[in-house]
Amino acid sequence: MLTLLRDLRRLRQTAALPRPDRGRSLALRHVDAGSCNGCEHELTLANSPYYDLQRFGLGLVASPRHADVLLVTGPVTSRMREPLLAAYNAMPEPRRVAALGDCALGCNLLGTHDALVGAVDEVLPVALRISGCPPRPDEIAAALLALIDQKNQHAP
Amino acid sequence: MSRHRDTVQQSIEAGSRFATLYASENTVRTVLVAPHGATQIIVSPVVDGHARSVVDLVPAAAWDEREAADLYGICFDGHEPLRPLVNHDPDLESWTVPVQGRDAYQIAVGPIHAGVIESGHFRFHVVGDRILHLDARLFYKHRGLERAAEGHSPEGGIAFAQRACAGCAVSNSLAYAHAWENALGLAPTRELSCSRTILLELERLWNHLNDIAAICAGVGFAAGNNRFAGLTENARRLNEALTGHRFLFDTISVGGSTLTLTREQVAHAREQLEAIRDESRRAWRELLFNASFQDRLPDVGVVSADDARTLGAVGPAARASGLAEDARTTSHRLAYDDFQPVAPKRTAGDVQARLEQRAVELLQTFDLLESLLDAPVNPTSTVAGGLEADVGIGRVESPRGATVCVVEHTNRQIKRVHLRTGSYANWPVVAHAAAGNLLPDFPLINKSFELCYACADR
Repeated sequence: MLTLLRDLRRLRQTAALPRPDRGRSLALRHVDAGSCNGCEHELTLANSPYYDLQRFGLGLVASPRHADVLLVTGPVTSRMREPLLAAYNAMPEPRRVAALGDCALGCNLLGTHDALVGAVDEVLPVALRISGCPPRPDEIAAALLALIDQKNQHAP
Repeated sequence: MSRHRDTVQQSIEAGSRFATLYASENTVRTVLVAPHGATQIIVSPVVDGHARSVVDLVPAAAWDEREAADLYGICFDGHEPLRPLVNHDPDLESWTVPVQGRDAYQIAVGPIHAGVIESGHFRFHVVGDRILHLDARLFYKHRGLERAAEGHSPEGGIAFAQRACAGCAVSNSLAYAHAWENALGLAPTRELSCSRTILLELERLWNHLNDIAAICAGVGFAAGNNRFAGLTENARRLNEALTGHRFLFDTISVGGSTLTLTREQVAHAREQLEAIRDESRRAWRELLFNASFQDRLPDVGVVSADDARTLGAVGPAARASGLAEDARTTSHRLAYDDFQPVAPKRTAGDVQARLEQRAVELLQTFDLLESLLDAPVNPTSTVAGGLEADVGIGRVESPRGATVCVVEHTNRQIKRVHLRTGSYANWPVVAHAAAGNLLPDFPLINKSFELCYACADR
């Protein structure tokens, strides 16, 4: 166990991102609306020791009721449309929707008309667009940090 | 008894295993694979929307028949009750198994889960904390990829196989490429086989590291989870350095591979792999000596060898139950010379065995990569090596087990493509493994299989 913790400390020291200098936080809730699982794999690693989004106040929360940002991956499938709307409707205001990955942005969608609704912005108002197939963990981190900066600018 | 059922029964008795079943052009096609790897397609007619079920002979075909019923409107006589699978009927009684009793109740989980997890719905029938039965309803992510691929050329269709799932992108696109090469009478050169085998093992490497991390997460062991997540990151960075993509996207084509490595790149890869091997060995040792972690693993989510065989389990899950099943032993199109499947000492079919299975397979993958990366990689192409046919089959061992792709074509245009992945084969096994266990152990049981929803849903 000590070896593990020592390894983790070393990893964090050599992490790719700079130390946090921001004072705010955002609670994120992820919804997979039909992705290939690539965005999920990269989002998971954005929380691994190399990136460690929590250091910047970016935490993934278990319920949309605790979330500021709904992070949506994948093209929206017809079967995920209702659960996605239910998650959005469960969020307190103010709330933001972030579309994560090219599918969520509606690029090169693969599938049939019956099975797919389309890009996330056909269902919800999208405030942040993170492109990539899939976007790398550092790209996800950079985009979300920009959202915090934006929030700080608007703060009184 | 109809003739196709006789054929299926005889082949199964002779040692063949079920590979896939799908609907095509008013027929139902059952694909079986013999122990030496030869595949056989058994065609049965659909008359007035009805076909004879084979589910009593091959229980592993249950999901396949339910899918064909939902997507192609075929009624399988003898498959009772034929519950919906891909179609989501709001009527609970139409798709769940009735579980009755004074204290039995249901717990609904999903499709949206608490962590960063794919979408799928689980309905647990429980008494107290004890799971009596689990009905899994997937296909929330069904995108209609197979239908959408129809009419495409060999090259145009590969995206549908690859983007079915990022975790198995190489396996799925390679199964697709093999299916086409089989149909077009093409055989890979040795150089191409080696290049593709490296890609397949690089995919297995990051997946197995990821899966070990996931099992740690399943018991809330954050230090172990983070350590192996860090190693997964190292493996994905290596993928990017070698191919330009962390998930090895677009590296496989019909008749080719883009993985070209200079002497310097091969040296870099070997150095990185050596580092990942050393660090993962050290981290694994820490897991072994962490008693509170190890205590959670044995005798949880047990799948006996008989059940694994009956339910058609594949991949690490099947091998952890004591089945010596590995499509790499019969992958003549790849560079797995004299490959022998490995297993840990204890093949009890529980969470511990499935975890240890990943660890022993990782060692094998490091060895395979080391032997394949001994010279610059320069794939050539395919050469003529067989007869042309209007149907081709590809079978590849993905990180989650045997993945089968069937392509039917007319004049090199896809008429029907069907992809049955290792995850698809193993989902019914997860539901079986959960029964009898405690509900709080389900995340752990689920993570010990670590199946993709995306490539099951397609």
